[in-house]
Amino acid sequence: MSDCTWLSDRMPAVALGRAEWTLDETRHLNECRSCREEWDLVRVTNRVGEEIVLAHDTARTTEAVLRRLEGSGERLRPRLWTLAGLAAAAAILAAVWTGGRDPRPAPAPQAGPVVAGLQIRLPELENLQPAELDSVLQTMDEPVVDGSTVDDPGLGDLDSDELQQVLDSWEG
Amino acid sequence: MSASIIPGSARADSGTDPALVAAYCSGNQGAAAELVRRHAPALARFLYSSGADHEDVEDLVQETLFRAFRKVKSWTGAASFRSWLLAIGGNLLRDHFRKPRRQIVSIEDRDIADRADPDADLAAAEAEKQVRQGLARLPRLQREVFLLRAQAGSEYAEIAALLGTTPGAARVHYHHAVKRLKELVQ
Repeated sequence: MSDCTWLSDRMPAVALGRAEWTLDETRHLNECRSCREEWDLVRVTNRVGEEIVLAHDTARTTEAVLRRLEGSGERLRPRLWTLAGLAAAAAILAAVWTGGRDPRPAPAPQAGPVVAGLQIRLPELENLQPAELDSVLQTMDEPVVDGSTVDDPGLGDLDSDELQQVLDSWEG
Repeated sequence: MSASIIPGSARADSGTDPALVAAYCSGNQGAAAELVRRHAPALARFLYSSGADHEDVEDLVQETLFRAFRKVKSWTGAASFRSWLLAIGGNLLRDHFRKPRRQIVSIEDRDIADRADPDADLAAAEAEKQVRQGLARLPRLQREVFLLRAQAGSEYAEIAALLGTTPGAARVHYHHAVKRLKELVQ
């Protein structure tokens, strides 16, 4: 490694106060114009933005960042529940609509439109009494909140990490 | 904000960055506050040196930190936390520059801090202005490598890991940046 390369590698550490020039290095700096110009450049670069650092209100930044982090945590949970609810609602709707074609004996839900070709079985619903099914349906009448749309089916099946990856990909 | 109102802050103000990150991942908000305190000023300087307008710096700092904490588990430790943070800031700044600018503020218009020796200060301020203008004219990779090395003191291996290149290539970018800046600042 040449003296110039050695000095170049040491410049950031010296400029940041993590190291000091040795006598030999100082001598080289005085004799080598190229190294001196680079050293000046590194030193000046370390002064660029000094006034930004002095004026920076770290407490304000901290407060704002923590507030946003807390806010984002609170928003994520309702979104997860909303997506899960949507997926469940879609499954229940499909079960109710196709229930009339189910040949197995079961408490018959109220007759409804049959979606041709759609046969999704939900055995856990088959033992429900009509009143219980009505109760489930009542919960589906609540408006969808938080801006979620039915364009999101399937996301309710994701675990937290997978959902976070999807959200991150949306955010770029 | 007083640090005492941040949960866990009393235990978070000492310790290494990896320890603070681990504490934050365990739910200690005070650890996040300490990481912000340690690195936000350097991040602000990096963003400003990279060409961000004075009035945009704070928003960019907050956004960078917010994004960093949201994906903090992806920090592998291959680079220091600060270098990793600066790299996220660099990506954010690139997106920022792609957006339509609200207002173009000349570097000459920014406030220059008062100093004791007006002549020396003017010369210093002029040199800083020239370097900042020179940095703005560098290709992005050269600029980021140069700033990560010269301003943040990152090692070439760290820079390479962050920017998806090799240590040798990072060194070449650095020397190209130095060469160009010398020409631009003359």
